[in-house]
Amino acid sequence: MTEKILRGGEYLICDIPCADVFTPEDFSDEQKQFGETTERFVTNEIVPHLDEIDKQNFDLVVEGMQKCGELGLLMMDAPEEYGGLELDKASSMLVAEKISAGGSFSVAYAAHTGIGTLPLVYYGTPGQKDKYLEKIISGQWCAAYCLTEPGSGSDALGAQASALLSEDGTHYLLNGTKQYITNGGFAQLFTVFAKIDKEHFTAFLVEKDFEGLTVGPEEKKMGIKGSSTTPIILDNCRVPVENVLGEIGKGHKIAFNVLNVGRFKLGAAVMGASKVALVTGIKYANERVQFKQKISSFGAIKEKIADLTADIYASESLVYRLAGLLDTKLATIEKGGDNYYAAYQKGIEEYAAECGISKVFCSEVLARTVDEVVQIHGGYGYVSDYPAERYYRDERINRIFEGTNEINRLLIPGMILRKAMKGELPLQAEAMKAFEALMTPSFDAVDEAIDFAAEKALLKNLKTLFLILAGTGVQKFMDKIADEQEILMAAADIAIQIFALESTVLRAEKTLSAFSERKQELLRAAVKVFAFRASEEAGSAARKGAFYVEEGDTLTMILSGVRRFSKFDATGLLAAKRLLAEASCEEEKYLFN
Amino acid sequence: MNILVCIKQVPDMESKFRIDASAAWFDTADLAWRMNEYDEYGVEQAVRLKEQVAGADITVLSIGPDKVKETMKKALAMGCDRGVHITDSDVSRRDPAEIAGIIAEYARDKNFDMIFTGMQSQDRGSGQVGVLLAEMLSCAAVTTIVDFSYREGRIEVKRELEGGIRASVALNIPALVTCQLGLNKPRYPTLPNIMKAKKKELLSLPVEDLRKLESRQQTARIYFPEKKGGGLVLEGDPARLADELIQILKQKTSILA
Repeated sequence: MTEKILRGGEYLICDIPCADVFTPEDFSDEQKQFGETTERFVTNEIVPHLDEIDKQNFDLVVEGMQKCGELGLLMMDAPEEYGGLELDKASSMLVAEKISAGGSFSVAYAAHTGIGTLPLVYYGTPGQKDKYLEKIISGQWCAAYCLTEPGSGSDALGAQASALLSEDGTHYLLNGTKQYITNGGFAQLFTVFAKIDKEHFTAFLVEKDFEGLTVGPEEKKMGIKGSSTTPIILDNCRVPVENVLGEIGKGHKIAFNVLNVGRFKLGAAVMGASKVALVTGIKYANERVQFKQKISSFGAIKEKIADLTADIYASESLVYRLAGLLDTKLATIEKGGDNYYAAYQKGIEEYAAECGISKVFCSEVLARTVDEVVQIHGGYGYVSDYPAERYYRDERINRIFEGTNEINRLLIPGMILRKAMKGELPLQAEAMKAFEALMTPSFDAVDEAIDFAAEKALLKNLKTLFLILAGTGVQKFMDKIADEQEILMAAADIAIQIFALESTVLRAEKTLSAFSERKQELLRAAVKVFAFRASEEAGSAARKGAFYVEEGDTLTMILSGVRRFSKFDATGLLAAKRLLAEASCEEEKYLFN
Repeated sequence: MNILVCIKQVPDMESKFRIDASAAWFDTADLAWRMNEYDEYGVEQAVRLKEQVAGADITVLSIGPDKVKETMKKALAMGCDRGVHITDSDVSRRDPAEIAGIIAEYARDKNFDMIFTGMQSQDRGSGQVGVLLAEMLSCAAVTTIVDFSYREGRIEVKRELEGGIRASVALNIPALVTCQLGLNKPRYPTLPNIMKAKKKELLSLPVEDLRKLESRQQTARIYFPEKKGGGLVLEGDPARLADELIQILKQKTSILA
């Protein structure tokens, strides 16, 4: 590792050596064991009960959570002084990835360990931690997070729930309705957001048994049916003043900071779910015979398997690279100081854009995966006797919760532009260079002797393309750019593809030499297949964006730039896809585990 | 009580195996590695015995290249107290007697009261190392145990026989048992224990210091058996199918001759 720590968003404007990225191949023996323990636990203790869990037998969920507690799977992010392990992010992502095979159960797990536990860890007073943390990390109590209301989802600060100090000053009286509360049916501790005096947005730790808290009926959902989702009704709910979490009026900090980690972790979880679905699809393709042949021998099916494998490799590379970025950054913060968690939050916030990218990219890969896995199953994918149908239903929520993919897409360029405005990223200077590049013809030949030369050239060009588009947009709309959502979404799409492609190429480059020749070929194939997709997606987003931003001669010039900077020579693409698909079907697994 | 557990690192059995260039073993490139399943029962039983007998101490031993330490750490996380890693880059070429000899050389002066091994390895599957080791250390051995209990210097084990029969065997320690599926359900190492295992002693010894026996056998070649002819599916009208089937049975078998 070099000394320099990459800043959030900086990947868009600089070249990064492959030694600087963390990859799954870098896991320590201990991290691998965390993964194995989790995988075995889910396979043996959860998956056999999934049908029953999906019938809302929540006792099984609570029991599973208690077993997680015994195994230490709930204490990864908690401080050591309260019995936690304070493990790095790469470890908790690996566990999130492996848990995801547990369908609805994994939603309960994610809500508990993420939004359920982290507000208390980050913002709780010693007294609050003493009282609640051990119960939470042992699985004795389940935790939930109550932000959303019927009238406020993405607009979280528009909450109506109110808090009023009692006359004797000992309690707050909370009133309002919280909606879509994951784990609502069995949680014992709720982190509830409400406005004190209808003004100061504040978080409260609310026990289930506090007077005035009622759990509403279970929602009838499309998928993740085995997770509990209920309204929480607060009717003069009496919360002791010592249960105010964090500062009065600073609840938004808690709400949003916790979501950064949640988004990132969701990326890991949906990536794990993608792997599970892919393997189910591959196995079915090997079993199903039509026209006297396994359907896995048909090009139409092979192409799906190859594309998904490459997409998942990209997801995985992205998730663990981001874990590495966060861990490197967080390791620079001295533990134990008074401001530890404040600095910690800032460290995570640094990569808020990348956390959003993880959520959007990986959830959309899962969406494509479950869609194609249903398609591979044909009619059998449409009936609930096969798991493909459940994967399809369960997937949908991932593009909605933890910030919709639209909100996240808006956030990504938003965060990056904000950094530029604050002078933290020299985006403007780089954009000028990009415009110069647009004006000057390039004769750069790709050096075939270098590994992944074509992909690296594409990556460099896509960065230029992002800068041209973002630069044009900012120049035209200045600080009103925030109102041009369609343009921001297009810019986000390019930024997402760049981060995914870069993570993919750098991981492959870093790990290539450790593999056999055969595996190296597979790796090259996966990188090529993904790079082709990235070039198409980024090119398409850029073209769209160009039409949104400009017209006339400038438009013509930018469009020529789009053609030039999204060009990718994917010679051998078909052979690469067949190679990937045939190896996947032969081994009946995701190839890069 | 002084306990020894011998474990082996083996490939994930769901891997796609390929024969290597020597044709005497499989290609180990790109494989994922695990603890031999039967050895895991051994580790679990040893840890349960330690939980029963105050002051017991478990040494886990494995032979192989550096990467076997990863598997040994799992045994330590499950509850073994210390590890002895016998470094050997050639372990896959050694025959069972050689392996048993190496372990015996290490164990001879250590006064182990109980030794647990798997009943066989999932990759080589000779099933010999445990019994050879017991013989070399002059202690009793019981193979393929599915139940184990200990009381006051004596163990009682159950063995699974053919035809659904079980045999109950009692013997004094020191003893060696080889463990079979069904003996127990190995625990999952908890995250705190995985972290604690990092601090446990893991000693490395070069195999050259312990290898006193020459091999007695060599694997000449390993190979995939030739595929037998595929099945035949007859389709069409049942009456004609019956005739067709009789013809085939007459021509190709002696059933109707």
